[in-house]
Amino acid sequence: MVNKVKAFIIYFWLTVFLIVVLFPFIWMIITSLKPIGTGLTLTIIPRPPTLSNYKSVLTQYKFGRYFVNSLIVASIGALGATVLCTMAAFAFAKLEFPLKRPLFGMFLSVLMVPGLMFVVPQFAIVYRLGWINTYKAMIIPHLANVFGMFLLVQYMKTIPDELVDAARVDGANNWTIFLKLIVPLSGAMIATVFLLTFQFHWNNFLWQLIVATDEHMYTVPVGLAMFRSAHEELHTLKMAASAISILPITMIFIFAQRYFIEGILRGAIKG
Amino acid sequence: MRRFIALMTVVIPFIVDAQLKVWVSYNDEEFAVFKQLVTAFEESTGIEVNVQRIPFEGQEQKILTACATRTAPDLARVDCAFLGKLAHRHALLDIDIGELADKIVPVALQSCILNGKLYGVPDQLTCVCLFYNKRLFREAGLDPNKPPATWAEFLKYAQKLTDRSKGIYGFAMRNTLWWTLPFFYSFGANFIEDNTCVLNSPEAVAALQFKVDLYRKYKVEPGAWKSGAIDPDMGFQNEKYAMVLNGPWKIKLLKTIGIDFGVAPIPAGKKGGYTTIGGTNFVIFRGTKHKHEAVEFIKFIVSKESQIKWANELGQIPVNMEAFPYVDTIRHPYLKVFLYQLQYAIARPVLADYPAIEDVANPIMEAALMGEKPVKEALELIVYKINAILQEE
Repeated sequence: MVNKVKAFIIYFWLTVFLIVVLFPFIWMIITSLKPIGTGLTLTIIPRPPTLSNYKSVLTQYKFGRYFVNSLIVASIGALGATVLCTMAAFAFAKLEFPLKRPLFGMFLSVLMVPGLMFVVPQFAIVYRLGWINTYKAMIIPHLANVFGMFLLVQYMKTIPDELVDAARVDGANNWTIFLKLIVPLSGAMIATVFLLTFQFHWNNFLWQLIVATDEHMYTVPVGLAMFRSAHEELHTLKMAASAISILPITMIFIFAQRYFIEGILRGAIKG
Repeated sequence: MRRFIALMTVVIPFIVDAQLKVWVSYNDEEFAVFKQLVTAFEESTGIEVNVQRIPFEGQEQKILTACATRTAPDLARVDCAFLGKLAHRHALLDIDIGELADKIVPVALQSCILNGKLYGVPDQLTCVCLFYNKRLFREAGLDPNKPPATWAEFLKYAQKLTDRSKGIYGFAMRNTLWWTLPFFYSFGANFIEDNTCVLNSPEAVAALQFKVDLYRKYKVEPGAWKSGAIDPDMGFQNEKYAMVLNGPWKIKLLKTIGIDFGVAPIPAGKKGGYTTIGGTNFVIFRGTKHKHEAVEFIKFIVSKESQIKWANELGQIPVNMEAFPYVDTIRHPYLKVFLYQLQYAIARPVLADYPAIEDVANPIMEAALMGEKPVKEALELIVYKINAILQEE
């Protein structure tokens, strides 16, 4: 009986917090179903509910195009960054080479510089290379992801050196060790880095805004900003577009969640 | 044949080169009309125009980055407050539009003049008026066709309209400096004189005291300026606030959702019912190679014909005074009020960093509204801090 009461109290509070956490999302969906112009009304149930916002976001505005742009930039960007991070992290965690420590320190010190500082010089470089208005400009400057690398280095350091030595004794070269041993063991962490980079690209507003000079190259965050003009904001359209835009992130989260749990469990068994 | 080729090598680069690059941040309807104007301009002059839409919210970073790397377009439409920053940093060319300058609404044009030079030409002009809910007026026993003419009358109305048991308030306001300027101006206070902020005058104290009293003493204002509160826009749309200050941009939406509302000039204080203006301007960037074409383009946009079209199709205030008599006040009855109010409007000073001034003033004004600081003391502090910013420039 006591257990049941305890469970009830726990579930009650969890439900309350769940509602609090989910409320902005629910409100977004509700607003996206309201007729145009009534985005600021305080009614819970849209009168009458309409899908016209979704329709005009996809047809009247080029939101489909922005979505595809974002998908291309975010997936290639995240994939590239994750591959580079994983390889670099392996080198820093498990290999010996000259100047390893000072190099690592230099990389980390980059984390201390606010990202905004890089915008103008990076833009100048991208412009000189003639990359303005291309996917290259959106992806390549962000391929180097120091934070992701740091995360992976710290994780790979926890993989016992004995495993690597054993593999080497069995005749494995660095590539084999990397692909057959390190990557499978760091799967959860690699998935995390992929997810974080994907999310970074998906939400990145400023950089995509300044390197795209043609509306066809705008990405989702830039497209969302177009629903706001000097004095007014098209709330219902913006919320419909936002609802569409969170789909990929949600899907990746649901998919990647398995990895997270797996990663935690594996650690638990090993003790 | 050889001569033809020779001719073409001279002509082709010229044609290709004579393309004006323009960045604009219009909303959908404005952009549709703007496109029509651009097409008309291309047809009449043969100058090709490449228009690019950029989001209003990100325009500052985008334009500043473009300026820093010398990739700015020839022209762009920028906000009043941003023009000052660009002009002070020498990113803009001064513009000579000749006699046309006399036809542009003076307060709008003055908001683009720095050190005697014109750095932008207004393409869009807004000013603030008093919006009131006619249904709530009737319910409170007030004549919906007689909006308050003075601030004293306004207060009486607000008290009648307020019904706290139903959550209805007579007035709702914002706390930012720009939205407080109509109070200051109509009470007879000045904002900046000779590059010095003078918001500590007795008139300014009376104006801010009035705002504070609306909230604290008379309780006809719900605190709509607090963060997280139902803001004036939202409350007016939901018929919770009977009177708010707002601009012409809100008319269409209020009509769409069927609010029975009226628009009136700013109530008169000691000086009269003065308002503040806002809007956007076309600027020409220093790196342009087509100054002549760019000036022609601006002249076309602010010409009488273009402005008549602009005003009547969008229900906005024309920037060219010659277009005033042609404004269709039957289709856009509220525009009449705004055109009247413009005679009692005060230009914006061209400052290097207007947002920074808002940033220092707003929290201090909020402290006054919360009753944490006496009004006089708050304004002295604001003047001191704003002057420190102005001196830096």
